Amino acid sequence: MTEKKDMYEKNKQVSAEAPNQQEEELDSSAPTRTLWGDAWNRLRKNKLAIIAIVWIIFMVILALSADLWVPQTLGKPNAQIYDVRLPMSAKHPFGTDQLGRDVLSRVIYGARISLAVGVLATAISTVIGLVMGAIAAYYGGIWDTIIMRLADIFLAFPYTLFVIAMLAVIGPGIQNVFIAIGILGWPSIARVFRSAILTVKENDYVDAARSMGASDLRIITRHIFPNSVASIVVYATMNIGGAILTESALSYLGMGVVPPDPSWGSLIEAGQTYLSTEPWLMIMPGLAILTTVLAFTLLGDGLRDALDVKMKDA
Amino acid sequence: MGKYILKRVLQFIPVFLGVTLILFALENIVPGDPIKLMAGEKKLDPQTELNLRATYHLIETDSNGKPVRDSNGKTIPTPMWKRYVLYVNGLLHGDLGTSYQRKGQSVASILADKYPYTIRLSIVAIIIEAVVGIGAGMVSALKRYSFWDILVTLVTSIMVAMPAYWLGMLLQLFFGVFLKNATGGAFYLPISGAVGPGAEFDDWVYYILPAITLAAVSTAYTARIMRSQLLEVMNQDYIRTARAKGLSRRDVIWHHALKNALIPVVTYIGIDFGGMMAGAILTETVFNWPGVGYETYRAITQRDWPIVMGSVTVIVVVVMVINLIVDISYAFLDPRIRYGAGKND
Amino acid sequence: MADKLMMGRRTFVKGGLAASALTALAACGKKSGSSSSSNSSMKYYINDPVAIDPYNTQESEGTQVEHILFDSLCDYDWDKEEIVPKAAESWEANSDGTEFTFHLVKGAKFHNGDKVDAKSFKRGWERICNPKMATPSEINYHLAPVVGYDEMQKGTATELSGVTCPDDYTLVVKLSAPMADFPYICCHPALAPVPQAALDDPKSFLTKPIGNGPYMMVGKWESGQYINVKRFDDYYGKKPSIKKIYFSIQKDPKTAFSEFEAGNIDFTSIPTGRIKETQKKYGKSKDGYTCTPKHQVITGAETSIYYLTLNLQDETMKDLNVRKAMSLAIDRQKIIDKLFEGIRKPATSFVPSIIDDDKKDVWEFSKYDKDAAKKIVDENNLAGKEITLSYNSGGDHEDIMSIIQDNLEAVGFKVKQSSMEWASYLTALSGGNYQVGRLGWIADYPTMDNFIYPNFYSTADNNYAKYNNPEVDKAIDAARQITDDDERREKYREVNQVIAADLPVIPIMFYAHNHVASDKVKSLYYDPQGKADLANTKLA
Repeated sequence: MTEKKDMYEKNKQVSAEAPNQQEEELDSSAPTRTLWGDAWNRLRKNKLAIIAIVWIIFMVILALSADLWVPQTLGKPNAQIYDVRLPMSAKHPFGTDQLGRDVLSRVIYGARISLAVGVLATAISTVIGLVMGAIAAYYGGIWDTIIMRLADIFLAFPYTLFVIAMLAVIGPGIQNVFIAIGILGWPSIARVFRSAILTVKENDYVDAARSMGASDLRIITRHIFPNSVASIVVYATMNIGGAILTESALSYLGMGVVPPDPSWGSLIEAGQTYLSTEPWLMIMPGLAILTTVLAFTLLGDGLRDALDVKMKDA
Repeated sequence: MGKYILKRVLQFIPVFLGVTLILFALENIVPGDPIKLMAGEKKLDPQTELNLRATYHLIETDSNGKPVRDSNGKTIPTPMWKRYVLYVNGLLHGDLGTSYQRKGQSVASILADKYPYTIRLSIVAIIIEAVVGIGAGMVSALKRYSFWDILVTLVTSIMVAMPAYWLGMLLQLFFGVFLKNATGGAFYLPISGAVGPGAEFDDWVYYILPAITLAAVSTAYTARIMRSQLLEVMNQDYIRTARAKGLSRRDVIWHHALKNALIPVVTYIGIDFGGMMAGAILTETVFNWPGVGYETYRAITQRDWPIVMGSVTVIVVVVMVINLIVDISYAFLDPRIRYGAGKND
Repeated sequence: MADKLMMGRRTFVKGGLAASALTALAACGKKSGSSSSSNSSMKYYINDPVAIDPYNTQESEGTQVEHILFDSLCDYDWDKEEIVPKAAESWEANSDGTEFTFHLVKGAKFHNGDKVDAKSFKRGWERICNPKMATPSEINYHLAPVVGYDEMQKGTATELSGVTCPDDYTLVVKLSAPMADFPYICCHPALAPVPQAALDDPKSFLTKPIGNGPYMMVGKWESGQYINVKRFDDYYGKKPSIKKIYFSIQKDPKTAFSEFEAGNIDFTSIPTGRIKETQKKYGKSKDGYTCTPKHQVITGAETSIYYLTLNLQDETMKDLNVRKAMSLAIDRQKIIDKLFEGIRKPATSFVPSIIDDDKKDVWEFSKYDKDAAKKIVDENNLAGKEITLSYNSGGDHEDIMSIIQDNLEAVGFKVKQSSMEWASYLTALSGGNYQVGRLGWIADYPTMDNFIYPNFYSTADNNYAKYNNPEVDKAIDAARQITDDDERREKYREVNQVIAADLPVIPIMFYAHNHVASDKVKSLYYDPQGKADLANTKLA
């Protein structure tokens, strides 16, 4: 959930403030032609990362193929066609809810929302973060000051409250959830990218390119970006898990997905009423969140080791 | 050092101004007229509405507190800058305003009610985080690749991936429902924060489950940081030298390695404590905890802007001050760090 | 791998041990002689109130507390179905219903020892009308019929001129227009007397009000935590049997119910979906309103209605046929059976049957008839019309709306939901930016007028449908003048039928209690307006 998201931020601050670790980030920028090939070879040996990849692919296939088979076997996620609150059985592996809807069907369709929010919100914050980080690091001076102060202000706000306030402004609905999470997630990515650029910027080949008259944009896209991409990929992968948790928390508070469409967070909220009588209604969607977020974290860990990015435990 | 502190304090100012300005902007763009919402579904009568607007300085008033009208007989809304000045002026005099929804109560008195709960819960959570996190991290590092190391890594990964509110419910389910049924009501824990004279348990019992929930994620991070720090320190030259000199592993760990490895961990815990001061909406919601996080959340949904303004301002200042204290003590703890030299900015 | 599994099991055992150690520790923390076994105090669940100071009591939770701290002039008796004396022992109206004289009980005292006299009522009422209060009251509308109200509101008078005190125990109230129902208003706890302390120290009065009721505050209201009250020994009326009442404040009724199951709360509401099961376990109340041991669950009808409001300015909703088809398409019984376990009652009218159950109140289209609905849709070519159901998130609204969506789609409409947070939702409603919304109406006073006037009079506050029928306005005005009770009722029934034909709203269901008391409670009466008669409650 989102209190955890704060942890990501804070943790980042810790590593940013411990200088001995910052130096190590230098290593990640050493250019190698076979960076991705090497990384894949290393990743392949990491059992946990492979399990994570398999699980993520499984969830993605489940979410994408749902329309093909779920309605026929389990019932549409919003169809109130069964008896209410049936226990777990072969016909309804996760039981049915208070309106007589199949919970497994709803959890599968919930995966669509969670994965979409995770990926899209991360994409938005990564893009904004990259642009902001690039401007701050490359142009420095007043730009750096303004952007980094802005980042401070964003980070000073209690994150969860900020997202909620943001949603109050732009209104509820799932597309607004990923906009809100996406927009508010940029400062930490900007910081990571900024420090990555700063270390790359001083390299000789950047100077060489500049002396040959390459434009700023070209230098950033052709030389700086490829050399910081490893840390961005690792960071973004982990961020997906954080975004999924934030979305689930918002839906739990009733500010995310619009009913009757299911989301994992809103399923937990609905199941909470039956905590003592039908606990699986709340446990199953929670397990879906847990395994999916865990998979993204493990994949992120694996990528970090494979790409040799030193980011600490973020 | 003095220069560094001054610089950091000066940096507070733009952040503080930025935060309050964003809040003011939010108040103006978030849909929902707070005064119209004050009586819920029932509508206020027009004269009452006018009186309330005057009371909250949302429209211009004369020295008697009566609304000023323009030539068309319309009231004049107070410009935003003027309200901002009024707000900051009140703030400097220790006045955070009066709530819209908690009828007649001052924001300061509401925060004074709520903050003690947040602070106490945070302290319990931090103790759990420090003891369990550092302990698990040490075990994990010192017995690297052992079963315990794998267990700690696995459990911390799971903790980090778990929605905290869901963990809270699982704890309620296990300690409040399952254990109670299993033991015939002999052993169980309370599942809501119903502290007070009519409560069934002593006050401290009510802190157990919410504090575990609040501490879970940070404990996992503490353990991970502790592990990697200790491993790193153990690889440093001076530790190897000490070992080579014939000191026992135990001595080296307790007298040399631990001290240095702890510095970033303590820093992390300190910053985390600052974060907890912002309250934990979800933990507070699940456990019915009357803290500052849920109060602010309630205030946003009800457009109770004086409370949103007041509590976010207080939260931001408290968090910034704690972070500053952490950074300063960091410099004291770690002789390698010298702030103000201009290099480590 | 096998090794790992074995280890896993060992840790589970360890984890179990750690868990039981924790609870053993907690068992030490259990208070000895905890009040769950004591028979002189009771724990009652409420949500955090908005206010417990009478000048701003406006919702059920604050009213619950305030009504045992303060006594108003009179009270509505649901057994006798009439108004009975409370702080006033008698009263009389002049012939045209514009002046009421109340004779107060002599010798009554406030919790601080001050005398309860006519002036203390005037003081309390003026506080409600006074715009100079730190925050002006939002419930001053109760006193709008009183002479001098407008002047006070505008700030041109500092006194409520229509209220006079010829002597210590006589209170005379002049109204600006005839209103035979005025004593009903005087039952409202907001119109309670206050001592001088309320003016001298308004800040502490907010959280620790001093009243004239059977119970007094112990300490202040701990926001989000509890309100603690004890019996007031100098109370002028019948002494309550319970010595202490502890209002446990919970954000979420689900948590409150779990606490009830754990034996920590003596009276609470039952979450949706758990009523039957609770009834089986704790027994069903005989009359639906009184909890006694083994008959602890009450499900009596309430004086409130859940309904859909239709924005009559919306192009689609302007069409009476759309409204008719919608009203006929909704399977009210299904909502009630699925979500409320058959406890609530389908709304056949806008006026709950507990207020008036005459056949003449029944709305023609407020019933489920899918075929008739389908027929209207087909004949008028309405299939595919888009309808958006707006509501505030939380509560059971998601589930109710999901069923309604299902129903409407079954007859051919294209339906979308739009859930908003409360503040945005109310803003959308009052701004007319909605098509179909949901609302609940809970009676302030148990009269037919209180259902018809505020919801359907063209200029009334709660008329979110923007319903405007001059015929209805005229008829309501006329009904309000009628002093004969039966005649007045008859007139309101006629108005009700005119509204039923126009269908500006769609009645869905009448609420019912869904509350349970612990077996510690010997008898507790919870009236249809949702007010527990704690002063007369007995514990076993």
